[in-house]
Amino acid sequence: MLTHRSFLLALAVAVIPAPASAARVARANRTTLAGGMARITGGVYRPLYATRGAPRTRVATFALDRMPVTRGSFLQFVTAHPQWRRGAIRPVFAEAAYLADWPAATSAGDSTDSRRPVTGISWFAARAYCAAQDKRLPTVDEWEYAASASETRRHASDDTAFRRRLLALYAARKPERPPVAGRGLPNMYGVYDLHGVVWEWTLDFNSVVVGDDSRTAGSGQDARDHHLFCASAAIGATDPSDFAAFARSAVRAGLTARSTVRGVGFRCALDLPG
Amino acid sequence: MMLPSRTFLTAALLSLVPLAVLVVADTRPDTRSDARVASTASGRPALPAAGTYSLYELGSAWHDQQGRRLTLDSLRGRPRLLAMIYTHCTSTCPLALAEMKRVEAATDPRLGLVLVSLDPDRDTPRVLATYAASHGLDPSRWTLLAGSDADVRELAASLGVRYRRLGPDELAHSNTLTLLDPSGHVVHQQQGLDEHDETIRAARALLSIDDRP
Repeated sequence: MLTHRSFLLALAVAVIPAPASAARVARANRTTLAGGMARITGGVYRPLYATRGAPRTRVATFALDRMPVTRGSFLQFVTAHPQWRRGAIRPVFAEAAYLADWPAATSAGDSTDSRRPVTGISWFAARAYCAAQDKRLPTVDEWEYAASASETRRHASDDTAFRRRLLALYAARKPERPPVAGRGLPNMYGVYDLHGVVWEWTLDFNSVVVGDDSRTAGSGQDARDHHLFCASAAIGATDPSDFAAFARSAVRAGLTARSTVRGVGFRCALDLPG
Repeated sequence: MMLPSRTFLTAALLSLVPLAVLVVADTRPDTRSDARVASTASGRPALPAAGTYSLYELGSAWHDQQGRRLTLDSLRGRPRLLAMIYTHCTSTCPLALAEMKRVEAATDPRLGLVLVSLDPDRDTPRVLATYAASHGLDPSRWTLLAGSDADVRELAASLGVRYRRLGPDELAHSNTLTLLDPSGHVVHQQQGLDEHDETIRAARALLSIDDRP
């Protein structure tokens, strides 16, 4: 398994050129809102899984945090809302590993640790954090729509070089010690770290309705799916070659609302007038 | 690198398969040390361990088929079998109801049966009442619940039920039956529609715990 990961990483690093003037282009394109959020102009996109023949999915204009929520920000939240501290949180809202990598219930580590994305938090806790900022979690559609932008293009998910770079980023992650947020290049909306740092919670992460067995590539056509899922229409992958999207989908399928997984963080979103 | 790009692509894609498997293995929730207490081999459910949780702590508020407002917590006091469905479903969803009815027929009336709608916009209490009547669901055993989008999402996410709206008239959803003890601890879950024997065994065992002095 490790061999495969290293192989993929080496292959990707060797072959994929870094985008040369991407930072400049991203700066020119992004629209930054107050409160560290970026405006994501609405549009249509094709989800990984869709009913055969369905039109593309429309995503309304919304605001998205430019960076994943950091340990430092989450510490402020649990300080103001003690019921979400490690040790105080009710078991219905999180598994036992909640914030297990913090030195103490009210310490997120040193100043560098404070700038790392918070992980090991449940969906309930992520949702409560966003609500406390008068925000909400992004939906899967919103997240995927924003994350399909590269540094230079709004819709880059059909760009082979972009996809290869994502796979390399996923393979290179260090879930036990994610890097400080905001180090990489922003995408053309001005959003950082959608791919390079951690997986992220979404409001409707449990909307993956095909088999999560990656060996059948989530085709939805497996006979097993038909009694596991109720649906008359055939649901299938719209682009079976989008392996990065499969990887994200598989992560979501492995979660329940209480899961506290190292390497799964979050950011918040907000409705905006179109 | 002098590899032709096609070879590269194939190699890259092939090497991703174990990555996806790894990802799933990394994130799979820990169900052993947790409250999803599985039935033992004898079919007798293990009693929930200390530190586990009750689903009823979610505290969300719902309307039943009689239009009465109730919290999840008011389901306490008797074991329940719970499924999430929607009443407009005409394809395979009746199979989930049939599965619930099989368990109903094979257990005594102390086991309550709960259907929670995944489609709160259309499944009003009145629609649920009509559905219950047309399917002959005895109100002394069956509770049908309608709630807000957010509370439906929360309950489904807590139970591991996955669903997605496919169109105005259709939702796709996982067929999951969850057996809860009288305090709301998850005792057994049935995924899919062909393992009701195990669910019946677990339900009977739960009822027999009740019988002990």
